[in-house]
Amino acid sequence: MFKHRKRQARKHRSGAIPTDAFADIAFLMIIYFLVATTLVKTKSITADLPTGQKQADAQIQETPTLTLREEAMYFNDNLVTIEGLNARLAALELADQQPEKRIILLEASDATTYDNYFHALAAISANGGVVALVEEEE
Amino acid sequence: MSRRRGNSKRKRRPVLIPIASMGDIVFMLIIFFILASEFKHDRKLDLELTQSDQVKEPQFPIAARVAMDAQGLVYFNGDPVDSAKAVEYAVRAKVLNAQSDEQRRVEFTCDRFLRKDQFEPVLKAIAEGGGIIEAVAKEINND
Repeated sequence: MFKHRKRQARKHRSGAIPTDAFADIAFLMIIYFLVATTLVKTKSITADLPTGQKQADAQIQETPTLTLREEAMYFNDNLVTIEGLNARLAALELADQQPEKRIILLEASDATTYDNYFHALAAISANGGVVALVEEEE
Repeated sequence: MSRRRGNSKRKRRPVLIPIASMGDIVFMLIIFFILASEFKHDRKLDLELTQSDQVKEPQFPIAARVAMDAQGLVYFNGDPVDSAKAVEYAVRAKVLNAQSDEQRRVEFTCDRFLRKDQFEPVLKAIAEGGGIIEAVAKEINND
């Protein structure tokens, strides 16, 4: 036992760092990163919902309003499809307007699903609009 | 016959594969994976994404991740939180030192069948906290 230790000590007397296992460790790390890495990239739309003070009813009346009632969409009280909404928003040329003229009011009933809401947000964002949420007063 | 065999044996030379640079290559690969990988913060959530043809890859890094599963439970960076107010505070803390809009992006993932009264308070909380919403959806191609 003692002899064996002596022999081992003699072996490392040269001061060389044992690097034989480096490649093995490195390969293990590569396998770990390959397994732990997510290669799926998420895709999204950007929706800026500015927070601010409540507007007066007079100002709200001039602002285009998108109303969601469950699966139905109304733009300024006219029933529209998602394609029709995109066409109407494109006609407003929101991207070229002043910031205060880019606001679209979004009003939704409680039963509106996120699916429908998302498509409305996507249409407004894609056409350069800024979403302002309408809250019902209690 | 036996002579031929002897000749063919002599011709065989040991094939040496140069493996001296293997360690360096492997370390380069490790560095690449460390820099390129992004750990998934959100645990596997029970939700169905909405589908859209208007989504694109986010251009700016995400400051925080908010998710809502099919039961309406809210998660902030993968950890469950109990209210929209908690999301607002957490987002505010994350974007507190943001110097531009690019640093205020908050990824929002939500089940497509949730109702407005469930998800809208969370959307408002993100906006109140100073975040710009990156709403995640599954891409569909109309081609």
